[in-house]
Amino acid sequence: MALDYAKCAAEIWATLGGKDNVATAAHCATRLRLAIVDIDKVDLKALENVEGVQGVFSSNGQLQAIIGTGTVNHVYDEFLKVSGLTAATKDDVKAAAAASQPLPKRMVKTLGDVFVPILPAIVASGLMMGIVEALGKAIPGFAATPWYQFLDMAANTAFAYLPVIVAVSAARVFGGNIFLGAVMGLMMIHSNLTNGWNAANGYKVWYMLGKGIHFGNYYLGQINVLGYQGHVIPVIIAIWVMCKLEKWLHDHVPAVLDLFITPLTTVILTALLTFMAIGPIFSTLETYVLTGAKWLITVGYGVGAAAMGAIYPVTVVMGLHHMYNVIEAGLLASKDFGNLNIWMPIASAANFAQFGACLAVGIKTKSSKRRAIAVPSSLSAALGITEPAIFGVNLRLMKPFVFGMIGGAAGALVGEWMGLGATAYGVTGIPGFLTINKPVQYCILLAVAGGIAFALTFTLWHEDPDDWDKPAAEELPAPTTVAIKTEKGDVVQPVNGTIVPASKIPDPMFAAETMGPSVGIEPTDGNVYAPFDGTVQMVFPTNHAVGLLSDDGVEVLIHVGVDTVNMEGEGFAGFVTQGDKVTKGQKLLTFDRSAIKDAGYSDTVVLIVTNKDAVGKIDKAA
Amino acid sequence: MKEFTYTIQDPQGMHARPAGKIAAIAQSYPGRVTLWKGEEGVDVKKLLPLIGTNLKQGDTVIIRVEGENEEQAASSMEAAFKENI
Repeated sequence: MALDYAKCAAEIWATLGGKDNVATAAHCATRLRLAIVDIDKVDLKALENVEGVQGVFSSNGQLQAIIGTGTVNHVYDEFLKVSGLTAATKDDVKAAAAASQPLPKRMVKTLGDVFVPILPAIVASGLMMGIVEALGKAIPGFAATPWYQFLDMAANTAFAYLPVIVAVSAARVFGGNIFLGAVMGLMMIHSNLTNGWNAANGYKVWYMLGKGIHFGNYYLGQINVLGYQGHVIPVIIAIWVMCKLEKWLHDHVPAVLDLFITPLTTVILTALLTFMAIGPIFSTLETYVLTGAKWLITVGYGVGAAAMGAIYPVTVVMGLHHMYNVIEAGLLASKDFGNLNIWMPIASAANFAQFGACLAVGIKTKSSKRRAIAVPSSLSAALGITEPAIFGVNLRLMKPFVFGMIGGAAGALVGEWMGLGATAYGVTGIPGFLTINKPVQYCILLAVAGGIAFALTFTLWHEDPDDWDKPAAEELPAPTTVAIKTEKGDVVQPVNGTIVPASKIPDPMFAAETMGPSVGIEPTDGNVYAPFDGTVQMVFPTNHAVGLLSDDGVEVLIHVGVDTVNMEGEGFAGFVTQGDKVTKGQKLLTFDRSAIKDAGYSDTVVLIVTNKDAVGKIDKAA
Repeated sequence: MKEFTYTIQDPQGMHARPAGKIAAIAQSYPGRVTLWKGEEGVDVKKLLPLIGTNLKQGDTVIIRVEGENEEQAASSMEAAFKENI
């Protein structure tokens, strides 16, 4: 039955809290995406119950209703009509949703926007580094070969020059010229500067404003001749400043002079600001953040890591997890932190625990609909993408989500004890085997995280019986008891149930056997089977009665219920037509016993021999 | 041979109940009783073919009675139709 698009759209609109509560509306292949001003004004329960809406979730100011491929575009068109909104693109909605968020959330989202696009480069490098390491351990003497030298170089390029990659990505996100961004990034690791990773060996200082004003060891305007290798936050801030500057200049410099003045001024000013202020301040800040993160992970024999493993999925729900990439990139890039991403085991534990919980739901559930969602979602979580498992299953049922938090905490604790770390960010769960430093111990982490979450969910989560699949009606086999014996052959009861004498049929005409020798059958299920081998003489158009002629010449009428012709076929289904040859036990019709009862009629099946004069002596079973 | 025309009144058309009654009444008459819908004819004494005519409300048919006392039989048949369908 096709969805009534207009009705669906109208019903959705009614739950949204009024026109002022919806900023923009768009859709993608499967979902309606709405930027909502105040999510508390939306009646989410009512929205979930709208016919056509298969699922609802909201995050970061964007409300998504899953409607389905091929249908959502129609519903969307109707939605625009009923709401009076104009069409928007997905990006508009994302932007509107983002703009309606408080500043800290926007900042976190921005970090995500910077780090996610560069994932391929990071992952490639990380995986390569992992492979090279593995080869180095597996093949004795490999480390001395030219192959090692070459592969090592190829693998660590992205990390060695991370500031440039980050600068380009940030320039794109902040709306500046990406090549100017590249220039700034390159400048910050210029070969004229002492390599940032060799800071311990000492570096020169340029006293730009002389040695006049100073605060202790710091001279105003000094620039350390030290590169920003391994730094990430200072780069992002520098590029942000650059983009703001560039925009201001574009807006204020006459078009004719724009090409000469704007890029030059932008670069010089940004460079000075970066090397004199932004760089030193934010690289120190960054070191504090990373130190803090490391402290958190390693403190109290891993208690901090456990705590982080527990709240990790909560941050995913709130959309804050994007900021972890900054920490992870920083850890990877920094020699001080061993170029090891010790955050990854926490994320892996948390994600794999959600997999465990979700899988337990999928196995234990008695709802085929829920199973169809839970099993694939859990597999996705095992690969590191947890949104389907969290939003589609665990968070909705709450207990599995909490058990996932517990499993994540346990796994993270174990991970910290075993000193696990990865050579990349962005890869968790099963794919993490490629970037993890200790694969065997990683197995233990995954087993602990996933196993605990699975066990807790499987034993302690109980499904609401309302969600169980309704049991299918039991199919009894065709009966074999003879209901009417004639000299020309036997007529088996056509329906499972008790055979009763005609006089017991609740209808005077049938009880009087007006149409011929009759018995009644009080049915126990809704299937009518052929009582002998023969031919179908006729089927009522409303499928509630059928007339047959046996191969031996016995003619019968099987009539389901009394006055059921008035139901006009509702609740009846026919499987044969006039002229069909049938064999004993073949299904002829089905009828819905509860529909007949609801209509107020008796469902007693009447079996009548309609050609009594041609079949000789007749013996009825009742 | 006596015949009469009749238009089906029953909203459910020719179903088991009227067919059962009419066939039984026809069976009690020794002569022939046939029902004609256009060119197609059925023996009214035979229940299943009678139901198989699938007559609907508003269909007009001709009933023919042949044999002894056909006049009286015909008016009885007509009464039977009027009463049941």
